This record gives sequence, C-alpha cells and structure tokens, in this order.
Amino acid sequence: MSVSITFLRPFARVLVPFTLHRKRRVLYSTILQRYMSSKIPAASCPNKENTPPPEELELDRWKITMKFSVQEEDVSTVTSSEDEDPLAATRELVEMWRLLGKEVPEHFSEEELKTLMECVSKSSKRKYLKYLYTKEKMKKARQIKKEVKKAEKEVKKDQLPETIKEDKQQNFLFLRLWDRNMDIAMGWKGAQAMQFGQPLVFDMAYDDHMKPKELQNAVSQLLESEGCNRRNVDPFHIYFCNLKAGGAYYKELVKRYGEKWDKLLLTATEKSHVDLFPKDSIIYLTADSPNVMTTFKHDKIYIVGSFVDKNMQPGTSLAKAKRLKLATECLPLDKYLQWDTGTKNLTLDQMIRILLCLKNTGSWEEALKFVPRRKHAGYLEISQHSQEFLNRMKKSKTFNSFPGGSINRHRKSSLKENI
Amino acid sequence: MTFYFAGIRSFPKLWKSNSYLGLSSSHSYLSLFLKDCYGIRNQEKWFSVKTMSAQNTKAMNLLIAKARCVRKLDEGSNKQVSADSSHMFAAGAAKKRSQMNPSSKTPVLPPVKNIIQLPTKPLNSDEWDKLKEEFKEKANFENWIILQMVKCHSSLDVAKSVLAWVAAKNNGIVGYDLLVKYLYLCVFHKQTSEIIDVYEIMKARYKRLESGAYTLLMRGLIYTDRWREALLLLEDLKKVMIPSKKNYDDCIQGALFHQDVNVAWNLYQELLNHDIVPMLETLKAFFDFGKDMKDDQYSNKLHNILLYLRNNQLYPGESFAHSIKTWFESIPGEQWKGQFTTIQQSGQCLGCGKTIESIHLSSEEYEFLKEKIMRDVIDGGDQYKKTTPQELKRFQNFVKYCPPFDVVVDGLNVAKMFPKARESQVLLNVVSHLAKQNLQVLVLGRKHMLTQNSRWRRVEMEKMQKQASFFFADNISEDDPFLLYATLHSGNHCKFITKDLMRDHRACLPDAKTQRLFFKWQQGHQLAIVSKHPGAKITFQHILSYDTVVQTTGDSWHIPYDDNLVERYSYEVPTKWLCLHRKM
Repeated sequence: MSVSITFLRPFARVLVPFTLHRKRRVLYSTILQRYMSSKIPAASCPNKENTPPPEELELDRWKITMKFSVQEEDVSTVTSSEDEDPLAATRELVEMWRLLGKEVPEHFSEEELKTLMECVSKSSKRKYLKYLYTKEKMKKARQIKKEVKKAEKEVKKDQLPETIKEDKQQNFLFLRLWDRNMDIAMGWKGAQAMQFGQPLVFDMAYDDHMKPKELQNAVSQLLESEGCNRRNVDPFHIYFCNLKAGGAYYKELVKRYGEKWDKLLLTATEKSHVDLFPKDSIIYLTADSPNVMTTFKHDKIYIVGSFVDKNMQPGTSLAKAKRLKLATECLPLDKYLQWDTGTKNLTLDQMIRILLCLKNTGSWEEALKFVPRRKHAGYLEISQHSQEFLNRMKKSKTFNSFPGGSINRHRKSSLKENI
Repeated sequence: MTFYFAGIRSFPKLWKSNSYLGLSSSHSYLSLFLKDCYGIRNQEKWFSVKTMSAQNTKAMNLLIAKARCVRKLDEGSNKQVSADSSHMFAAGAAKKRSQMNPSSKTPVLPPVKNIIQLPTKPLNSDEWDKLKEEFKEKANFENWIILQMVKCHSSLDVAKSVLAWVAAKNNGIVGYDLLVKYLYLCVFHKQTSEIIDVYEIMKARYKRLESGAYTLLMRGLIYTDRWREALLLLEDLKKVMIPSKKNYDDCIQGALFHQDVNVAWNLYQELLNHDIVPMLETLKAFFDFGKDMKDDQYSNKLHNILLYLRNNQLYPGESFAHSIKTWFESIPGEQWKGQFTTIQQSGQCLGCGKTIESIHLSSEEYEFLKEKIMRDVIDGGDQYKKTTPQELKRFQNFVKYCPPFDVVVDGLNVAKMFPKARESQVLLNVVSHLAKQNLQVLVLGRKHMLTQNSRWRRVEMEKMQKQASFFFADNISEDDPFLLYATLHSGNHCKFITKDLMRDHRACLPDAKTQRLFFKWQQGHQLAIVSKHPGAKITFQHILSYDTVVQTTGDSWHIPYDDNLVERYSYEVPTKWLCLHRKM
C-alpha cells in the first residue's frame, strides 16, 4: 500500500501544476498584488472574527501564497530528484534540521556523512552533528579573522615603504633570524637532554582503552607536552614507551608530526619502561594512587600514562602499575589547593609543565599554577605543616615577633600572578 | 557573566518543574524547540510563565505531601501493614531517606525579568514592527517571539498574525522553523483544519521533512479522517531514522481510534522488533480498546503484553492498572474480579490470600548470576583493577575451605554507620549480636583495620575474630565484590549486611537481564541495619520474601503498579498491587 502511494505522490506533484498552473499563476499574482498593498481591506476575510478592524493583518493569506509560490518552484525540482538513496535522504534530513535552527553543519563531506550513518544511536548522531557544527563555525570564524588581518596588512603595506627606507640607514648587529636560532638552540638543548637529561616516560599502552576521538586528544596533548619540554631550560629526556609501530598511536603521531617525527629528540620505543629502567627507580603517576607525592626526586623515573579517559574507567592506570608492581604517586592537589570541581586527572601538558616546574624550582605553589583555575577555588592559605608550626609558635607565645603576615602576602602575590 | 551562567544552570530545574504540571502532551515536544541555539535558550529566564510553573510545582508538591499523609494514615489504620515496615527497595523509600536529611535545599529560582509582554490578540503589521524595535536582544525576533508563544501556548490567531506579518515582509514566504513552531501550536490546540493546511503547505514546499515536523504531523493527523497519511509519514521517517516510541504510540493510538486493529498490532510488533521499550500509554490503549472486543486472538495478545511487562520488569501506572482491571472484568463468561490491594510481609495477597512468587532465584539463575558476578564484577577483564590475582586466589581458597556462612558483613560499611562512635566498637556490637544467634558470620574488611589506632582497637578486633571469620582485602582493593561473591558462594540462605545499594556493581553487569536478576537477588538477600543510635538494639530492615513482578497462576493475576503520587526511583519497586481472580 505504502509503495503505491509513494509512487503516486511525485506524479501528483507533476500533474497538479500542469493542470492548474496557468490559472493559479494569475490568481497568485493578483493575490500577491493585493497582499503587498495590504492597506486595502479585504472583502471576504477567512478569519473567524466577523468584523476585523481595517488594519488587521489577514491571517490566512500567507498560506495561499505559500502553497502557490511553491508549486511554481516545484516543477523544476521534482523531475531531478527521485532517488531513495539513504545517504541523500540523511543529507536532506540534516538540511531540514538546519532550517529548524538545530546545531548541524551547513556543508559536510561524503565521508562525514558516512560516519554519521554509522553512528548507532540517535544521540550519537546528534552529538556528531553538533561536533561538525562547532567545527564548521570555528573554521568560519578563523577565515573571517584571516581576511580581516589580510586587509589590515594591506593597509600597512601602503605605509611600509617609508619605514624601509629608514631601516636601511641603521646599523644592526644581527640578521632577523630569531625563529631559526631558537630552533637550533632548542635542538642543542634537546640533544644534551638526550645524553644527560632525566628520563620522563609516557606510557603509550592505552590505545585499546580509548576511542578514536580520545586518542586524537591524547596525541594533541602529547604534542603540546613535547613542545613545552623543548622550550624549557632543562628539558627532560622524553621516552614514548610501549609505542607499537604501526599501531593507532604511532600512526596518529606520525601523521601529526609529519617528517619531523624522525628528527624528534626523544626516544620512542616498543619496549616497556620496566625493560629500560630498574623497577625500583620507577614511579608511576596516577590520580588513583593512595600515595601522595611530597617532593620531586631527581634520581627517579616518572611515568605518565598517555591516556585520555572520557569514558569513566577509573583505576586503569593504577591497575597497570599494580600489575608490574611499581611504586605509584599522585600530585598533592588536595594539600595545596581548595579543590572545587572537575576530576583530579590533569592533561598531559599540564602534567609535564608541573613536573618541569618542580624540577627547576621545587616549589609546589609555583608548579601547581598550571592546574586549571576553574578546578580549584584557590591555594590553601597555609599548608597543614606550617599551620601546625604556627600553632606551636602561638602556644609558646613567641608569635609576636614572627612575621606571619609576610607569608600571607607572599601567597597572595603569587595568586595574582596566577590570574 | 555569572548571571548568564546561572540562568542556564537553573534551566533544567525549571524544565523539570514543567513536567509536574501534567502537560504531558506538551513537554515532550518542547524539547524540539529547546534545543535551539543558545541565543534563544537563555532568554528563557525573562519570561513570566516560569514563575507560574514554579508556583504550580510548589502546589503540586504540597498535594503530594498531603496525599502521602493520607496514605500513611491509611496504612496506620490498616493494622496488618505497619507504616514503618517499608523495605529498602519500596517505592518512595529513597525519597523518604533523603527527606530525613534536613540539609536538602529547595531550588532557588533566578530573578525573572520580563522584557516584552506577549500580545494576547492578533496585532497588525505596524504593531509588530513596533514590538520588534523594542526587542533588543541578539536573537532573531520572529523566531524568539514564536518560541515564547509556543512556551505559553498562545492562541492560534496571534501566531497566525506573526506569520502573516513575516510573510508580508518576505514575499509571502514563511521559514520552515516558524512553520514548525506554528504547527506545534496547532497540534497543541488540536485545530485539525489548521494542521491539515500546514501539512499541505509542507508537503508542497519540501520534499522531505525532519523528525520534529513528522512527529507533530503524525500527532495532528491521527484524529482526522486522513489518519492513514500519518502512517505514510511514519514510513518516510523510517527511511532516515528509527522512529521514536512516541511516534509509534501516536500511530497506534490513531489506528485504534479508527478501529484498525491489525495496523495497530503490526506497528506494535515493529516497535518491539526495533528493541524499543513501548510507552505504557501505548499498552494502555490496547487494553482500553479491548473492552469492546470479543476476540480470543485479541485477548491472547493482551496476555502477551502482560507477559512482556513481566519479562522486562515494567510496572503499569495507576490509570493503566485501572484499564487492565476493567478489561479483565469485561471479558464475558469468565467472571474476573479485580481489586487493589497490598501484599503482606509473608508474601500473601491481602485480597485473595494467595502466595506471591518467591524472591529466590531458581538454581540455574543462581549459578548464572554467580558466574557473572565473578566474571564481570570481580574480574572485569582486568583482575588488577579491583584486586590482584594473588588476592583473588587467596579469597577463593578461603571461601572454598570455610563452611558456608549464614551472614556476610561488610565490615567497613557497618563500622562507619555512626560517625561519632568508634568503628571497632560498632562492628563488635553487630558481630556479637549475630554470633549470639549461632550464625556463621563472615566479616569482610581491609587490612588497615588491623593496625592499632584510635578508631580500630586491637582488643576489640581480636574479640571479633573469635566470634566470626574474617577476610581482609588489600587497602586499595574493593571489598564489595568479595562480599557479593562470598554470599553467593555460601548458598541461597546466606544474607549480607550493608547499607550500600550496590548500584555501581550492578552497572558492571553486561545486560539488562542479568542486572534484573542481580536486583532480584539483592532484594532477597540484603539486610540493612536501621538502628539510629550506637547503643540501640540492632534491628534489620526486613527482607522481602516475595518478588514484585507481574505474575499469573492461570486463574489469577497479580500486577504491581505505580502509585501516581509516589515518585519511585529506578532501584525501588512498587508497593501497590492489582489482584485479579476468577470466581469459580
């Protein structure tokens, strides 16, 4: 039954305009004319109200124009598209959603459409569409920014020739080769770190715990952390352990680094960290650990699990450490910060920044500046240890001479920097 | 900035309050519009309607509270069921527990700012233009105003005047989004002719629609003569996505309304084939329709629906229960008699005296559950996550060589029952209380309990160890899975003591069927301590002896149902029953 009617419908659409086409066009145009000059009161109003005030909008008029204006357009469209392809149908669906003002992208590729079709549930489809939507929006915003900048540059260019003339008359010590010099310097430092630096291991054994999206995020974070390390005064010697050649991680890293991958000053290996280093000097960092890290030890090898967990699988990295019987530690976030919201799992780049800072200064307050500000309400005014100390001072009544205020002031200033 | 966020955050609360209003027809559709862009969403708070709904909620809550009072009185007068005896998993028990905590706050509503008064009668174009000038927000005015109309269900004429105004400005073209929102209003006000008009326009103008418009059109068309076109729309929708249960519900209701039973059953079968859980309203409609049918096949199908409820542990609502009762009583020649009752603690129906099915699992189910707990909850693919293989081995050996236990105690949960009392003291009390009854007791705990400190006295620990068996897990291992397994291993008579509702462990189980099995077993075997003071006599919450599920013995049916006035959480079961039996 349904088949016959779906067949009939397009026909009906083709037939109806043909029969009524001419008449209606005339009708339509007269209506439209009358409509546009809407000051003329209509003689017969389709509205239920009997005596409409003269300036009342005619409530049902738009319907007629809608119906007719459409059928004129329809003649051209009906002939072209009569495919029952699910891909095309989905594309149309998304288009209609866009008309409705939902968060769906305007344009998307065939490949993205296929990914959309592969989404199992409605909510996953919706999420994917929203992701595409935001991506598209960001891209557009970036393009607009680019164009604005380009326009600004052109304005500047007009003024430039004069400045160049001035430049030529001056004497300079260096050529403008900052970026390259920086790169080379960082390369030297990196090479030094490869020889004498303290190892820092990224454990890459989590690729089967992550979905493609999480893996991509993890790789982004790795790139970020590597960059931080490179810029530091005293970089770590980074190891990517358990990195399977040809695995998902490897592919993504090579894709992101491009040809730079082979020139990176770090050690990427398929071996495990327990094969490379003595077991008793390894400390596995995980937020689930019962042991709290008190100081940064320069003779230990810290391991960071390169794992983005959006799927709530608590205890995965702790399980890994337990299996290999490694020591574990977590950052003393609760001791120094008034934790507010969010998980205690930090991103990889935040981790490496904190570790680098600890390595160079050893001060927790400085290092924990890299914990996102939204996650905590501020530093604890005085850490427990010094609080006890102060209490003891109070009891012994030598407090007066102790410059307690200065500590506070110091903390506050560091807070301000933070903001 | 903060204000902006506050507005958004409070939004779900407001929305929730809407659902209390009983606008069941509206609120499922609102979602369609509320997913609009942010610009529109946060204008919500400027609208005066919201305060009204909040008041209504308050009124509703009062009503609920009053009803609860009345219910309590009822129970009080009914001597066989004491008011306090509601078990841990009884409907509403969690709510009661939470209300005992005075700390729960009432939601604070954000200040309401009204920028534009919604017109109550159609305006002409000049007036609309003027109104538009007053509107200074970022969002699209036309869109915004019609969205507000949707929210407070303005009359159709007002909405029409907006569309006419838009059309006049825009060469007679009205955008799709406005059209859909207008359609929503039409459907809400049940204006059939308008719905058909919009339907014609949409059909002519767009080759294919999206799910929201399809849903609204189906909804609007089913009570008209052109209801079969709703089925065509359903077919159209199927091409791009699986229709929702609401879509099926509408179509089935339409088919039943027009006496087309076969179509309705076919749609129902299709719905089940998609693994969608049907709306209870759909099922109710079948029962309601069945009153006029004298057809064996039809009544067989209704019995199948009841079995579906049983297998999926669904409980009908109060009005559905009434429909079921009416249908049974209307079967000619069978003389069914129905009554609303409760079940005694002993598991006997107060109405007919029959015994309700036991809560105990059959032996296959028991073995199945035991294996699943071992595999998915304790092991879970990575033994190191919750324990270690060494510990697991140690535990299995321990369980194997110990006599079967009568009670397994979650040591830490019990010990931490009273925050002010010393842990080891509390635990000792419970253990010796149990030991006095000559029960074989196993206490599960963690190794840190053995280290002497102010909370855990060694003397008391030693005393306990004489009275019961102990198993200490590592400090970083989880003890609950061991508790479950030890109880299951000891056999059907063994109970466990904890206040933990074990929802996280239930979530580890792979499928809904196993989870239901676990829940059933949990209801039958979990003891919770209800004593309120450390010194008080230890009393346990009673265990259900019967299973709360739709059940039959051929000439009787017992159907638990949800009271309209009690909010039941997912881990609770209803306490009210419909008892149906045949007069012989």
